[in-house]
Amino acid sequence: MPASVADCWWRPFRNVGTAAVVYVDMAPDAAREAVALTWLDQEEQSRRQRFRFDGARRRFALCRAALRAILCGQLGCPNQQLAFGASHHGKPYALVNGQPAPIGFNVSHGSVHGLIAFAAEGRLGVDVEERSPARDLDGLIGSVMGPEERAELASARGNHRLHLFYHLWTVKEALMKALGTGLTPDVSGFEIPLAMRRGKKTGIFRFPHIPTVRWWLEDLGNEHFAAAIAHELSPDSH
Amino acid sequence: MASTGDRLKTLIADNLEVDGQAIAVPENLDISLLEAGVSSVDLVAFAKLVARDFNVKFTLEHCTTLNSVKEVADFIDSQPG
Ligand SMILES: CC(C)(COP(=O)(O)OP(=O)(O)OC[C@H]1O[C@@H](n2cnc3c(N)ncnc32)[C@H](O)[C@@H]1OP(=O)(O)O)[C@@H](O)C(=O)NCCC(=O)NCCS
Repeated sequence: MPASVADCWWRPFRNVGTAAVVYVDMAPDAAREAVALTWLDQEEQSRRQRFRFDGARRRFALCRAALRAILCGQLGCPNQQLAFGASHHGKPYALVNGQPAPIGFNVSHGSVHGLIAFAAEGRLGVDVEERSPARDLDGLIGSVMGPEERAELASARGNHRLHLFYHLWTVKEALMKALGTGLTPDVSGFEIPLAMRRGKKTGIFRFPHIPTVRWWLEDLGNEHFAAAIAHELSPDSH
Repeated sequence: MASTGDRLKTLIADNLEVDGQAIAVPENLDISLLEAGVSSVDLVAFAKLVARDFNVKFTLEHCTTLNSVKEVADFIDSQPG
């Protein structure tokens, strides 16, 4: 455990309805990484070793240790009793003494900015991306956006286009991560609500193939990164 | 004609990197791009390149469910074409 709150590399970021979002600072820091390593179990240590790049190792260790520390605090359990299972598509969930823990979470890491969302109920997804201008935006837009999204992106210019692309992409990925199925179904097959495409920060969404389930969407981006959360609304919430 | 594996290696070397570093694909192609730290947005772009260069239907779904570059090569070779 870091010696004091000041040594922590994570901090509260935003409350979104009943979900809490924590920011994880993943900038290179050997001392933090050394502390983080002491939190990982054997399996996580081996997984970390399998990453081929220092950056990927660092991101995994700092995020996973922050996740462990926060979950232990919230669940009141020692780190040794906490483990993680994963769904068929790899979405992790927490186990305490082998039993599913009464809290859900989702993790996302960009290159130096990480976010972890927590909620007691409802499926959750979070995504963070640094807005790299180096990527082939035209190719990406053609692959992942629906027709109306493509039309809007076609009329946006320069920096606004870059921001709009990452805004839409992080909302889509947060939704897919909330579903937990990896990046299927095809993300170009659904579109982000119009008001959010036009700049509104929040919205409610239904997948065309599961119209009975509603998702709360919120833009978590700032000047450093694009980010979004998707949280399943309970059927009785308004 | 270069093998599918060699063409994939070139495609990866020319188009993908993690934190500015090139991805060294081993001779046996036993490497997972997700595990190497390639982000999902870069995988989308890569899937598009694979589809175009090999003239096969290859989506992001293939990219995340095929666990290694070797599996991607085998998948491409199994497609009629
Ligand atoms: C989920 C996914 C879209 C995220 O890709 P990304 O943008 O590169 O990564 P992010 O940083 O946003 O998210 C990574 C985190 O998402 C979580 N995650 C992994 N799989 C997930 C899934 N299916 N659904 C939701 N979250 C998932 C993990 O916590 C992971 O971080 P960790 O491994 O350090 O704990 C991508 O990993 C994916 O498609 N995974 C599915 C792969 C799969 O089906 N594998 C087969 C079984 S292992």
